[in-house]
Amino acid sequence: MLASEKKSLYRFLAIYLISTFLLFSLAVAIFYKSAKKHIINSQKKELNIAAQNIKNKLRELHQSFDEVLIYPRIKNFESAIYDLDKNLIFSTFKSPPPLKNQVTKDRIYKVYRIKPYYLGAAYLLVSKEIDTAPIIFLQKNIAIFMLVGGFVFLILGLFLGKLFIKPMKESLQEKNRFIQDATHELNTPISTILTNIELIEALGKCQDAKEELKRVEIASKTLSRIYEDLAYISFNTNLYKKVEDIDFSKLLKERLLYFKSFLEAKDIKVQTDIKENIIIKMDRNDAIRLIDNLLSNAIKYNKPNGSLKIVLDENEFIIEDSGIGIKKSDLSKLTQRFIRANSSEGGFGLGLNIVNEIVKRYNFELKIDSIVNKGTKVTIKWKK
Amino acid sequence: MEKVIFLLLIPLLGIYANESELEKNCLKCHEQNQLPSKLIYKRYLLKYSTPTNIKNAMFNYIKNPDPKNSIMPPQFFLKFEIKKRLDLDDETLKRDIELFIKKYDIKKRLK
Repeated sequence: MLASEKKSLYRFLAIYLISTFLLFSLAVAIFYKSAKKHIINSQKKELNIAAQNIKNKLRELHQSFDEVLIYPRIKNFESAIYDLDKNLIFSTFKSPPPLKNQVTKDRIYKVYRIKPYYLGAAYLLVSKEIDTAPIIFLQKNIAIFMLVGGFVFLILGLFLGKLFIKPMKESLQEKNRFIQDATHELNTPISTILTNIELIEALGKCQDAKEELKRVEIASKTLSRIYEDLAYISFNTNLYKKVEDIDFSKLLKERLLYFKSFLEAKDIKVQTDIKENIIIKMDRNDAIRLIDNLLSNAIKYNKPNGSLKIVLDENEFIIEDSGIGIKKSDLSKLTQRFIRANSSEGGFGLGLNIVNEIVKRYNFELKIDSIVNKGTKVTIKWKK
Repeated sequence: MEKVIFLLLIPLLGIYANESELEKNCLKCHEQNQLPSKLIYKRYLLKYSTPTNIKNAMFNYIKNPDPKNSIMPPQFFLKFEIKKRLDLDDETLKRDIELFIKKYDIKKRLK
């Protein structure tokens, strides 16, 4: 799966799962509240029965009106009676609670009116401990339901997500196939042009049009590099990597020679400090793409008659140009594919993306320092 | 020592004096005429609930004895005569009503 496909799928899944979770949670919360209310209400019915029993007993006590009146007590229930002014007459509570209907964390309180006022009692407050067993059972069921529901929605989301990105995936695959085919078809003519230019130069067959031939060579090499970059991102897989000891110093000099015509065309002065026999363990093609892209950028965005400083040692590889520079705000985006800080020159915005991929692959470190209109310094630190 | 005992006895003597006043002013007559004061209190309690309401209702009735003001049912007056208006000052009457209510205080009886 391509990175863009993954990104789309994750985004779709995030939106789908978050919205589903919110709706699901809302529905479950409403259901839980209603079911809990139903449980509490059914327990309130027990209070009604207890209250009726207490009222009957109060009537009997009022009728007898003996010297000692034993207040009715019911197991698991607490109660209190209050007069018309809500003053406490008698209570079985340790500390009488406020005279109002309420459901606390662990108890239910219900107030009943008494008329006529047996023993002067106008209000009866009855309370019982909430039986939490059915509520805990409900909570457990809801938790299981949420887990199972979440899992089902996740599976459904994955299925829908794949269905959702299928047209995009097909379209991307088609484009990739086209780019791969086109890149493949470009290879033969570019190679033919370059080989024949070299042949003409070697045989000295075109002495009268040296300048024109150089321009054809530069154009062909530019085309060749574009082809190489496109081929790199189209066919780049770990399977084709042959990681070996590369003489980076030698390779860098070879590539500088390759870019000679470009440097001459822009009259760029090159200052090199290349230490001999710097061996780096990497794939040769990766090393070429790394050097070519950095050199190409340093030449492309340099000023005519500008300068180019190249340093290579055991620790780092530095390419510093005196070009147009890059704005600070653009620096962080530069390594993204198809992102270009400046459109004044040709290109696809692949160069630094490829450099960054190679740097990440080999655990190197990439650092870009730039000052607008002064130049850019790209540093690659080799891994220790 | 005698002084101490006397001082301790003062409140008890006060209560006794008050109760004897209630006995003399109210209950004695109730007993003689076989008027059940307990039943009367129960009816007041059943209708008025709070001591304040009971006090007001009793005071009004004693000041203006009339079957319409009475807590007892009309049939009661077929057997018993309506009581005569008491010749007590308001302060004494209120004190006696207070003692009467205390005598049957429901909070003390409930266990």
